[in-house]
Amino acid sequence: MQSMQMQAITGKELEYIVDSISNEDLLIKQCAASAATTQNVQIQQALQKYIHTLDQHLNMLTQAMQQHQPLAPAQPQQ
Amino acid sequence: MNMTQNNSAFMQDEDLLYTILADLKRTVREYTTATTESSCPSIRQLFTQLTNETLTMQGELFNLMKQLNMYSTSSSALRQDIDKQIQDAKNTMQKTNQFVSQKLSSIGNGSYNPSFHIPEQPNIHQNHTLN
Repeated sequence: MQSMQMQAITGKELEYIVDSISNEDLLIKQCAASAATTQNVQIQQALQKYIHTLDQHLNMLTQAMQQHQPLAPAQPQQ
Repeated sequence: MNMTQNNSAFMQDEDLLYTILADLKRTVREYTTATTESSCPSIRQLFTQLTNETLTMQGELFNLMKQLNMYSTSSSALRQDIDKQIQDAKNTMQKTNQFVSQKLSSIGNGSYNPSFHIPEQPNIHQNHTLN
């Protein structure tokens, strides 16, 4: 992976990251609750795979915030 | 076997999966919007990757539901409707080609070759593979 230029993130980007974390979190819970409810093994296996992927998404989103945290200004800018 | 379900289940499998599918579709849309509105290149790359991976998951779940007869797609488009739309598309392409040629010739590009050429009518009555 080539190194990607890092800039301070905008307020809008931060909002999208936070909203995305909510989406991923809800999907993980839906998949887990559904896997516990269904009797169908094929569905259970698919849902477990999705939970794994969604969990990775949560980590990526959180890491993005952590990586950009040092670039963020401490004061509001004009 | 797939549809065996006890009555005390929280919801039918079909409804559970449909809810997840709907949320995956919404999440893909939101990731696409986030991608187009990103300013930082690394954030744009992140949202692009998440868009693609979420699309893949949505496609897999759709296929699973289709396989389990939980999803009915809309009926096939009629050949006459497709024929009409093909004709309309050809007309649109022809007009657009003329428009672009005209505009580009005014800035001194006399040798404009449209990359979107109008395709020949294929042997549609021989080569179709649909049942």
